[in-house]
Amino acid sequence: MNCPRLKSWFSERYNFDEIRDLAKQKFVPNHKYEIWYYTGGITLFLFIIQFITGIVLSFYYIPYFEHAHKSIIEIVTKLNMGWFFRSLHHWGAQIAIVMLFIHVWSTLLLKAYRKPREFIWVSGFILLGIAIFFGLSGYLLLWDERAFAAVRVATGGAGNFPVVGGFIKAFLRGGIDVTGDTLTRFYAFHVSVLPLITFCLIGLHVILVQYHGMSVPISVEKEKLKETPFFPNFVYKDLIIWLIVLGIVVTLATLAPPEIGKKADPLAPAPENIKPEWYFLFLFQTLKLFPGEILGMNGETIAILLISAGILFFFLIPFFDRKSQRGERSTLFTWIGIIYFLYFVIMTVIGFIS
Amino acid sequence: MKRIFTALAGIFISATDLFAQQDKIDVFPTVPYERFIVYQNLFIFWIGIIGLIVIIKMKLREIERIQKMGIDKEGKDIPVLD
Repeated sequence: MNCPRLKSWFSERYNFDEIRDLAKQKFVPNHKYEIWYYTGGITLFLFIIQFITGIVLSFYYIPYFEHAHKSIIEIVTKLNMGWFFRSLHHWGAQIAIVMLFIHVWSTLLLKAYRKPREFIWVSGFILLGIAIFFGLSGYLLLWDERAFAAVRVATGGAGNFPVVGGFIKAFLRGGIDVTGDTLTRFYAFHVSVLPLITFCLIGLHVILVQYHGMSVPISVEKEKLKETPFFPNFVYKDLIIWLIVLGIVVTLATLAPPEIGKKADPLAPAPENIKPEWYFLFLFQTLKLFPGEILGMNGETIAILLISAGILFFFLIPFFDRKSQRGERSTLFTWIGIIYFLYFVIMTVIGFIS
Repeated sequence: MKRIFTALAGIFISATDLFAQQDKIDVFPTVPYERFIVYQNLFIFWIGIIGLIVIIKMKLREIERIQKMGIDKEGKDIPVLD
C-alpha cells in the first residue's frame, strides 16, 4: 500500500526519518546464547494478548459477588466465542508467567543484570511480582469455590507477616475475611491498578534496554561478535516467534478450555485437596515443611519470613554479585541461580503430584 | 402427623432437583457441528500462521541477501526524481 499524499501529510508534521534512523542504529549481537533475547519479546507479546482479551471480557463481566460467577458462565455459554476469549485469557496468563520465569532465570544465569543494567533487573523482577498478583486477582474473579479458598489461603499467608501482616491482609481482603468486597477490590486491582503500573514498568524496562543496549554474556564478551540490525532483521525474527506463540496459545485455548467450578460459598468448608495456581505451589509446599510451632514461635510466620528473605536475596542479586560487576565470571551466583531454579521446579512438581 | 408427612414429602420431592443439577459447566461448544467448525478453524488458523512464517522468512532472506551485497545503504547524493 502506497499513499504518497498521506505520507507527505505526516512527514510535513513529524520527522519520521529520525525515528527510522534511531531504529537502524540499534544492533543485536550474534552469539550462541542469543535465543534468550527473544524471551522478553515473547512476554511482551503475551501481555498484549492479555490486555486485548481482558478488555473483551470486561465488557461482559459483572464484578459483584452475586453475579460474578453467573456472568462468567454466560460469557462462556451464551456469548459468541466467549468461551474462546476466556480460554485465551487463561492460557495467555499461564504462558506469560512461564515466559517471565524463563526470562528472569536466563537473565540471572547469563548475568545480564550486571553493571550498568541493575535497574533493568529491578523493573523486570517487579513486573514478575505484578504478573503473579495479576494471576491471583484474576483467579478470584471467577468466584468459584476453589478460587475463593485459594485466595483465602494466600491472603491469610500474607497476614502471617510480622508487624505489617495484619494490615496487608485487611488491605487485600477489604475486611477481616474474603467477601464480596474482596472481589470488587481484586477487580479494581486487576483492571486498573495493576495494568497502570504494568504499563509504566514495561515502558521503563524497554527504555532502559534501549538505553543500555543488549547485554552480552561474560563468556562471549571478549570474542569479536557479529551484529544483526534490530530493524528489520531482528523484528522479523521476533514476528516469526510471536506467530508460533500465538498458535500455541490459540491451540491450548481451543483444546483445553479451563473449567468453571461451583459458585463460591463463604460459609461452606474449603473443598478437599485444595491447591493454589501452579506458580504458588512452591510456596505452598514450603509452608507445609514447617511445623506449627518452632521454639514457641508461630511456624508459619517463620516460614513466611524465610521465604521473603529468599525472594529479597534473589531480587538483590545484582547488588551482591561483585564479580559480575567487575566483568569476571561468578560461578557462585550461577550455582545460586541453579539451586533456586531446582528448588522451584522440585517443589512445584511435588506440590502438583501430592 | 399429616402435616409432618406432607413437609417430609415436600423435602424429598424438592431433593430430586439435586440429581438434575449439572455437574460440570460446558466450557466448550457441545453441538458436534460447532465442534467440527472450531477444529476446522484451528486447522485453517495454523495454515495461515505457517503461510505468514514462510512469507516473513522469504522477506528476511531477501533483506539479508541485499545487506550482504551492501546495497541496502541509502546514498546521500542520489538525485530525487520529483
